[in-house]
Amino acid sequence: MNGMNWMGRESAAALRTVSRMGRLAASAACIALYCSAATGAGLDAFAGKKGTLDIAGGTAHIPVMKEAAKRIMQANPEIRITVGAGGSGVGVQKVGEGLIHIGNTGRPLSDEEIAKYGLKSFAFAIDGVAAAVHPKNPVSNLTPAQVQDIFAGKITNWKTVGGADAAIHLYTRDEASGTREVFWEKLLKKGSIVEAANVVASNGAMKSAVSGDPGAIGYVSIGHIDETIKAPTLDGVAPTQDNARSGKYPIVRNLYMNTKGAPQGLTAAFIDYIMGPEGVKITADAGYLPLSR
Amino acid sequence: MRPKEPCDRRGADRLPSALLCGAACVSAALVFSIFAFLAAFSWPVLSGGQLGSLLSWHWRPLAGEFGILPMVVGSLCLAGSAMAVAYPLALGVCCFVHGCGPAWAARPLFVSIRFMTSVPTVVYGLVSVFLLVPVIRGAFSGSGFSWLAAALVLAVLVLPTVVLIIDTQFQAVRAEVRVAAAAVGLAPSQEMRHLVLPLSRRGLAIAAVLGFGRALGDTLIPLMLAGNAPRVPGSLLDSLRTLTAHIALVVATDSHSAAYNSLFACGLILFLATLCVNLGVLSVRGRRLG
Amino acid sequence: MVKRGQGAESALIGFSWLAALFVPTVLCAMVGFLVVRAWPSWGAPLFFGDTPALAALTGRAPVFDGIWPACVGTLSLIGLASLIAIPLGVATGVFLAEYAGRRTRMAFSLAVDLLAGVPSIVVGLFGFALILLLRRTFAPDANTGLLLSALCLAVLALPYLINATRLTLETLPAGLRLAGFGLGLTRWQVVSRLLLPASLRGVSGGVVLAVARAAEDTAAILLTGVVANAGMPGSLTGKYEALPFHIYYLAAEYQTPAELAQAFGSALVLLCLTGTLFVVARVFQRRLHRTWSGMEVAAWR
Repeated sequence: MNGMNWMGRESAAALRTVSRMGRLAASAACIALYCSAATGAGLDAFAGKKGTLDIAGGTAHIPVMKEAAKRIMQANPEIRITVGAGGSGVGVQKVGEGLIHIGNTGRPLSDEEIAKYGLKSFAFAIDGVAAAVHPKNPVSNLTPAQVQDIFAGKITNWKTVGGADAAIHLYTRDEASGTREVFWEKLLKKGSIVEAANVVASNGAMKSAVSGDPGAIGYVSIGHIDETIKAPTLDGVAPTQDNARSGKYPIVRNLYMNTKGAPQGLTAAFIDYIMGPEGVKITADAGYLPLSR
Repeated sequence: MRPKEPCDRRGADRLPSALLCGAACVSAALVFSIFAFLAAFSWPVLSGGQLGSLLSWHWRPLAGEFGILPMVVGSLCLAGSAMAVAYPLALGVCCFVHGCGPAWAARPLFVSIRFMTSVPTVVYGLVSVFLLVPVIRGAFSGSGFSWLAAALVLAVLVLPTVVLIIDTQFQAVRAEVRVAAAAVGLAPSQEMRHLVLPLSRRGLAIAAVLGFGRALGDTLIPLMLAGNAPRVPGSLLDSLRTLTAHIALVVATDSHSAAYNSLFACGLILFLATLCVNLGVLSVRGRRLG
Repeated sequence: MVKRGQGAESALIGFSWLAALFVPTVLCAMVGFLVVRAWPSWGAPLFFGDTPALAALTGRAPVFDGIWPACVGTLSLIGLASLIAIPLGVATGVFLAEYAGRRTRMAFSLAVDLLAGVPSIVVGLFGFALILLLRRTFAPDANTGLLLSALCLAVLALPYLINATRLTLETLPAGLRLAGFGLGLTRWQVVSRLLLPASLRGVSGGVVLAVARAAEDTAAILLTGVVANAGMPGSLTGKYEALPFHIYYLAAEYQTPAELAQAFGSALVLLCLTGTLFVVARVFQRRLHRTWSGMEVAAWR
């Protein structure tokens, strides 16, 4: 019953190595399986159902949620699924207040959040968070110390880290962001981020900001990395999902769907769908490592 | 003025007039309820021990610091600079329309100005992100998302508001002085400089105050263009965050933290600023009457 | 002295030319850039994505990757906001112009001016707080959605309506009222049978301008229930999509060049919508001007 609570509490330590994370993932999947009532995993599960499902929160989740919503609504026009953004903090608050059915987070829930709202978490994917620069930036490797110094404002010119003689433009996320929290905890080691950094509101916004600014550095979910932005290697390790899976790339986290109490009806069916074979494929296509059953 | 109606017929009239009066009261009550809501929701912050935390210079929610002063300064800086650009331009446009420019050009120009009032803010924002920001990034250092970018676009946004107010004033003044000016042989530019401008001081002041209020209240332009860093900008190329953008960015965080309640304090500050703007206009009008 | 004066006047003329040239330059740059960038996306797929247009229009198939749901969302917002704001605004305008005494009128005018000056994000915050209050008191299921957003937009449009109605009524010739009372009509009869029909065009112009105001606002709906993906608006309390928010969202979050082109396409659609409303409002007001020619018709905001 409270398995996911345990996960939230332990997660900071437990996620440190991916081998342990694999076990965690397995347990998460088991718990999700245990919790959900419906058995069908494909679109058939939605046959005859109708109603509205509101989803909001973590922005790394959006590509997966949108694609799943599209397929479900095309198969069954009686169902309306809305996907909002906002960031992980928004996801927690809105689902906790009962404003939406599923609140996504890119970080484990805190004890306080679980206690206050009675939330249940369903981890469905592993994602990495990586520093990102403009594709034309010659810098292709950074050390954790360099990234920390850049975000702390100690390094302000790309020359210092082997790039062109140009000022570094910092981009960061707002405080509701789970991506920010993971990046800050695991790569910046809770170091400071200078207040002068530009603030953007989502992973997508980060990507478009960095792709348009040759002097930029920001951080995004690995699922959002494509040819429009470049992710420098970290101590020689490329931030790819393969390296995240094998444990070589350490800045990883789970992506969660959270519900208030045990999910029922449409909500349960949706979570089942995401965790089922089709959902796994959608998750993988979006660039994440699915945590399947 | 309005003629008085015969007294003996008023009885049949009660219902409609009561309904109309009710509607007016509802409209007026809206303003007060907005104020009441903002005040009530920001009360926990204002009355509790958090006021000091609110009125500080650092916004770091993770460290328990909820200072909104950088945003207050950001709002004032941005609105002030936008007006510094928009106001002379608006004055120029009005002089052009009222005699300094050729008559054939006045009408199309004025129609364009009115059309500008109907251009959605978000369209200005979208075009600027992809047209103006890269130019600023190329011409100066920095990311381009800056005080400068937001100020320029905000100036374009408030320009029609200021023009229309000044124009109304110029029309009124020129109706009085046109004949006299023509009789003593003043050129349009002389009439403008020596008669219309000095006589329009009241309208000019009102335009400045209302334009400033409009610039202070806009959300989308600073949100999309100013970079949103929560600190006091050091130069025009720095990024800044206004109160309005701050509300839009933070509205959705945890609803029980001080960060959340401080939002309503931001809203309250904006509301009070609106009040000051209106009182300002009223005092300018009143001075002339007195 | 004379020379210096002339210098100042030439400077004034020069500067006024500069300012006058600035306006069309900015407008052309903006509209031109918008059209050029929107061009690649223009066409049926912009509106309906990969759904057949007919099926989408009749509501038989949901639309994805198209802006049709956002268009319908914006139109529903406009409709609902008008339903709320027009009766209230026109009635208030009539009251202020025809019924209120001088002091009452001044007090109410101050309130209306204040309402006109309240930033739209603050109105959005008000709507959000309203829902929080409802949830804490007698409606625990209240939620942000279409109706709440429409309410907030109505609050934003209200001052425009009130002022338009009031100014139009006040510019009508006093003879109209005198004639009415001379015939022994009551004040309400004068208002409803003579003044309102006579001022219909001016009031309509104000209505259209207020509607345009409601159509373009983004900040208020940002806080009151608009989301990035919702499909067609389903119910009054449901989440919905709207054009201005869609543009804002895509401008920040586009993933592909196609999505960015869609943002520009949506912006062009929205600009066409507000532009059309603007032209309609102008036509109404110019007709009014002609009907009562010789009178000063107030400058419209």
